Amino acid sequence: MATRTHCPYCAFQCGMVMEGAAAAPRIAGDSEFPVNKGALCIKGWTAASALNHPERLRSPLMRDADGVLASVSWDTAMTHIVSEFRRTQEDYGADAVGVFGGGSLTNEKSYLMGKFARVALGTSNIDYNGRFCMSSAAAASIKAFGIDRGLPFQVEDIAGAQTILLVGSNASETLPPIMQYFEAQRMNGGRLIVADPRLTATARRADLHLRLTPGTDTALANGILHILVRDGLIDADYIEARTEGFAAVRGTVSTYWPERVERITGVSEADLVKAAHLLGEASTAMVLTARGTEQQAQGVNNTLSFINIALALGLVGKSNSGYGCLTGQGNGQGGREHGQKADQLPGYRKIDDPAAREHVASVWGIAPDTLPAPGRSAYELLDSLGQKGGVRSLLVLGSNVIVSAPNVTRVERRLKSLDFLVVSDFFLSETAELADVVLPSAQWAEEEGTMTNLEGRVIRRKRACAPPDGIRDDLKMICELADRLGKGEYFSYESAEEVFDELGRASAGGPADYSGITYEKIEENQGIFWPCPSPEHPGTLRLFTERFATPSGRARFTAVQHQQPADPPDSMFPLFLTTGRLLAQYQSGTQTRRVDELVGMSPEATVEVHPTTARVYGLLNGGMARISTRRGDAEFRVRVTANIREDTLFVPFHWGGRRAANRLTNAALDPTSKMPEFKVCGAAIEAMD
Amino acid sequence: MVEKQKLVVVGNGMAGARFVEEVLSLGGQDQYDITVFGEEPYGNYNRILLSGVLAGTHDPKDIFINPLSWYEDNDITLHAGVRVIGIDRKSRTAYGSGGLLVPYDKLVIATGSSPFIPMMDGLYQDDGAFRDGIFPFRTLDDCTEMVEYASEAGRATVIGGGLLGLEAARGLMNRGLDVDVVHLTSCIMDQQLDASSGDMLKVLLEDMGVRFHLEKMTTSIYGNGKVSGIGFRDGGTLDCEMLVISAGIRPNIDLARMAGLNIRRGILVNDDLSCRNDRDIYAIGECAEHRNKTYGLVAPLWEQARTLAERLTVEKSIASYTGSRTSTKLKVMGVELAVAGDKEPMSDDDEVVSYVEPNRGVYKKVIIRDGKVAGAILLGDGFTAPRLLQAFDRGEVLPQNRAELLFPLSADGESALDVEDMPDDAQICNCNGVSKGKIIAAVDGGCRSLKAVCDATKAGTGCGSCIPQVQAVLELAAGGLVAEDPSEHYYVPAIPMTKPELTAAIRMQGLRGVSAVLETLAGGKEDAASKMGLASLLKTIWADEYEDERDARFINDRVHANIQRDGTFSVVPRIYGGVTSPDELRRLADVAEKYEAKMVKITGGQRIDLLGIPKAHLPDVWRELKMPSGHAYTKAFRTCKTCVGTDFCRYGVGDSVKLGIEIEKRFQGVESPHKMKLAASGCPRNCAESTTKDLGVVAIEGGKWEIYIGGAGGSRVRKGDVLCIVDSHEEVLKFMGRFMQYYRENAKYLERTYGFVERVGIEHIRSVLLDDSEGICERLDADIQASVDAYKDPWQEAEIPAHPNQFVSVAAGS
Repeated sequence: MATRTHCPYCAFQCGMVMEGAAAAPRIAGDSEFPVNKGALCIKGWTAASALNHPERLRSPLMRDADGVLASVSWDTAMTHIVSEFRRTQEDYGADAVGVFGGGSLTNEKSYLMGKFARVALGTSNIDYNGRFCMSSAAAASIKAFGIDRGLPFQVEDIAGAQTILLVGSNASETLPPIMQYFEAQRMNGGRLIVADPRLTATARRADLHLRLTPGTDTALANGILHILVRDGLIDADYIEARTEGFAAVRGTVSTYWPERVERITGVSEADLVKAAHLLGEASTAMVLTARGTEQQAQGVNNTLSFINIALALGLVGKSNSGYGCLTGQGNGQGGREHGQKADQLPGYRKIDDPAAREHVASVWGIAPDTLPAPGRSAYELLDSLGQKGGVRSLLVLGSNVIVSAPNVTRVERRLKSLDFLVVSDFFLSETAELADVVLPSAQWAEEEGTMTNLEGRVIRRKRACAPPDGIRDDLKMICELADRLGKGEYFSYESAEEVFDELGRASAGGPADYSGITYEKIEENQGIFWPCPSPEHPGTLRLFTERFATPSGRARFTAVQHQQPADPPDSMFPLFLTTGRLLAQYQSGTQTRRVDELVGMSPEATVEVHPTTARVYGLLNGGMARISTRRGDAEFRVRVTANIREDTLFVPFHWGGRRAANRLTNAALDPTSKMPEFKVCGAAIEAMD
Repeated sequence: MVEKQKLVVVGNGMAGARFVEEVLSLGGQDQYDITVFGEEPYGNYNRILLSGVLAGTHDPKDIFINPLSWYEDNDITLHAGVRVIGIDRKSRTAYGSGGLLVPYDKLVIATGSSPFIPMMDGLYQDDGAFRDGIFPFRTLDDCTEMVEYASEAGRATVIGGGLLGLEAARGLMNRGLDVDVVHLTSCIMDQQLDASSGDMLKVLLEDMGVRFHLEKMTTSIYGNGKVSGIGFRDGGTLDCEMLVISAGIRPNIDLARMAGLNIRRGILVNDDLSCRNDRDIYAIGECAEHRNKTYGLVAPLWEQARTLAERLTVEKSIASYTGSRTSTKLKVMGVELAVAGDKEPMSDDDEVVSYVEPNRGVYKKVIIRDGKVAGAILLGDGFTAPRLLQAFDRGEVLPQNRAELLFPLSADGESALDVEDMPDDAQICNCNGVSKGKIIAAVDGGCRSLKAVCDATKAGTGCGSCIPQVQAVLELAAGGLVAEDPSEHYYVPAIPMTKPELTAAIRMQGLRGVSAVLETLAGGKEDAASKMGLASLLKTIWADEYEDERDARFINDRVHANIQRDGTFSVVPRIYGGVTSPDELRRLADVAEKYEAKMVKITGGQRIDLLGIPKAHLPDVWRELKMPSGHAYTKAFRTCKTCVGTDFCRYGVGDSVKLGIEIEKRFQGVESPHKMKLAASGCPRNCAESTTKDLGVVAIEGGKWEIYIGGAGGSRVRKGDVLCIVDSHEEVLKFMGRFMQYYRENAKYLERTYGFVERVGIEHIRSVLLDDSEGICERLDADIQASVDAYKDPWQEAEIPAHPNQFVSVAAGS
């Protein structure tokens, strides 16, 4: 029997149809699902190979007397976890146990993790790897529009935009099936501008490629807005009617004249003018951002500077127009809405808002004052591990932090200084290898739940086959752990659907209101767009048509200045280092590094170097090079390509150990979003003999 | 709470105001009460953009950085229009004009500079002011006065061929003036350019119309009241109606001198920007002299502002200013000139790399010292400049092959490589990471058709944009052995049948709906790509017995209107034969006004198009028009264009108007594989262009009509073939209908008649439709009649929508 479900990987959440025996399921694109319309990328086609992989964990593991991870029963593992958590909390207080989640977990799991931390453990310390992904765009959207839904419109709108400015996204590799909409846009005569330090597969399709210097995004945006103001291309009526704060932005961008911006960004004046005019003269236009501009210590400001362009041109809230962010992780959207974040409660509520605490506590049947206060953000949490006043026992779900966090050498030291570490994953990931207890968990095709895609469309993940014997899904595991911690009454659910219904109630009245969504309704409509506040409500396809979710109903401009990266190149570390993803690998590679086809395409970590730079530093194509930064060094195979700036190195972050890009990256955090600066730091490179 | 210190800033220009911004950004308002003096009565504006204001590219209001309200909002006391006339260092007090006394703890002098005015006779009027028509170029007021004066003047002279002078010259030319530039030395912009590049720039500017007078010293100014000309030391003269003086700047140091601060060319400052002999007084900007240098460019000023702000706000700050590397660009439209650092080598050890191409006005020169860029001149190359200037700014390590500096290697985004020239590892399909080599391997492994290659490699199964390249690689690798995939002849992808086979199967099994067809013939496979084609075919076969399923329609067909770029729709009502009436026109006008149609246009097919109607208004528009749908949005009979015909035209031989109306009334709404555009012309002059229509008739002598089929006048132009010549309107209708039905049954989905006629061949068509070689004419006639009888005006859905949300606007494309 065929099951209609969705791909386990990115936020596009392609519909796929799974058929055949559980041992060897066949996957096909779901041509009925209106988002991918049948298209899949290579990761989707091969997704089933991780299900029956020989390295799949099939029972809990625990350190034996020799310190070796060995199979144990669920009962033994759970008993041990509970006694360790209790001991930690008795010795160091409730906050000494932490929970770390992930952006690929279902809405139900994300929600339940938040509830588990606050109700079963009573700890304030819960955060997740989405902090490394979506937090800057989220903070910027909330500041500008009062609400954060990655795309406030359907992906289909892309096809009708006359001009699109795509900033820091290599969608051709990271969200391949979305490119059908860009292709349709091109066929409709639309223009594409891509801003990226590299001539990526995406930039190659662009009409105009702005090869900006890493870390100069705000200067680029302000420079484009300067030209739009200068040449009379802004929409004064819209600014007057629907926004506030433009006067300050106008003043700020007057100091970003093209010659200055050219010198900061390295983008020629001619290209700046061209970009501004393509945007300003189009009747419909979009500004889309992604991690390139967001994963910086100035990530929120960078994003705001691009939102300023969209607002000044009067694009937001109009059809085939507006600002959007292309979410990365599978449930990067839903995962950031339901309380998996340190400062947040379900429905995108703030945990320090008394009314929000009141509401959620009443749904959970607890007293509001028992809810913990805001806790540490992801990197701050990891950096506190084993430290005085920090977290001493940690539960990690769906995250391979010693590959994906910034400055992983330090994170590894911190993890090792923990009293107790539990990791739940499908495979023995690099992080799981450090754990005291490892729990095997069910994979996407083996579980029920919902995901929220990059459009804010809530969709169903359906179970196509049972997990192998010995494996439990995380929902059951969390509920049992809660029960053993004496909080079972708050965690008794018959199904994922019951968790979802409670999530709906908890989110009611919040910005991300799911209360009118049911599994049935999702099924009937190929997904429901939040907010959906009542059973009769059809969901909200397009936001901001009438007003913004700010108190005044107006969108807010924010004047922002270009600032240097936290760790700029200097004479010791003369090059820029930037990081990113490859087509055939995904995130920390825990799954994709175990799929033969994908390994065949991207077998190892490489560094992209410009030919001129390669000659300067004596690097040979195909040889090995050591890159070092102020935090550490790592080794990569050299790939010489003229597709990158002379002053920039690019490394993918899918590998661990000596090949881990994040041994090099800087953990300087954005002051608002706490996003680390993955995308830019000073680096040196040398050939290895 | 610690009492705040008093910070006084003298000067509200590029340096002073920027310094205050930096102090605020570092939270300095908690440590200081800030007072700013500015001589000009404004908030601060961006002086760099004055050239733009003069040239008319910038509006003066767009160059203001902070309005007066900004100072108030940030609790800064601004004395705008007040000049500081003295500093008492003992009592630590600044004296403002008008008797203002402001005590300070820290004082920052940012008085900037003034234009240098060379000594010339006739410069001043009796009252000491400049003679009318003489302008320095320094402030916004200078600039606005110049613009005003220029509007009355025809000829201007600029004294000083430096950066600013040239920008002023270009600005005045933009305003329509004849411009002369007088320069003291033999090389313009000699501060930044060497002789060769100066000459090339001069030629470029001369080509634009600027006249240069080099090695001229202006000694006198003529004119009675107003300027009328100037005289040079060598005796020559030059007529002009206005004179702009741009001969350099002088730091404003009078205030510092009177206060007893150490000065030379500028106010002498240490690395912390404090004055040599008073550590509570600082100087930044053009008035400051640091390590024997004064600066006139903005970047160093801002670096100083930042350094000083850190010094004064951050506890134990060791921020220090060690000098700036300066580079700049000439802001002259049509000229790409960037300069940095030294213009000439300083010693024999300096390396000079240059490239000159006078013909294109390209000059590139780089001076390399200790392996770093020490200077650069880049003329006529906007592409290389940004990178080279960055290398200069950062002191980057340079390539051994210096040519790479002047000619950077970079992939320029051209992916239009012939697949033959691509290396095997070149990626063809980005979505699935399929390289050329992989496709070749698949072909070698036996895949011989596009479909087989795509299935085997997954190439083309993502966004699909690489399919032409996949096909090209396939052809390359398979040589002549490319097999046609049988599926390429399938009418729709989901069902392995050609159109005649599919038609037969549908008829035989009596399948009347898209779902039924997919259920029966495609094994229940839901295939969106097949639905539209099937819907079209089913309508042809079953006419009114067809079971409509709305999801098997394009948006245009779902709402019976043509979606436009901006998500609105266009409404084209039917006007039979293009003949309308005053009453109809009145209704059209009323509706267009009431629903604010963005445009009302006569279409190429003689109809009237109301553009820019939002989806939600469509039903009301149709209702109030009281006219049927013109089907301008769908694959169907569109229009029958006509000429004036016999009633009025002196040449007409057949009543084309009457026939055109008959044709249109008969065939309106008949759906087909692609649109059908028709025309009827009343004589061989063919005014309705019948011979380039899908179907057309032309009246000829003797009351006869020629029927043309397969004409095209769009992206493809083709003259139609004559199907036959007939005697009456009835016969025209009969043969046209017969051809239409044959086309509907046998053409591929989205195949226009011209493609169809060429593919099948006119001889074959004639034999089938005229000689009845296949014995199907009677059935064709009956089937087209059934389709005609099934016609229903879709705009009647205004009254009874097909579903409640049909016209609800959720998002374009939904």
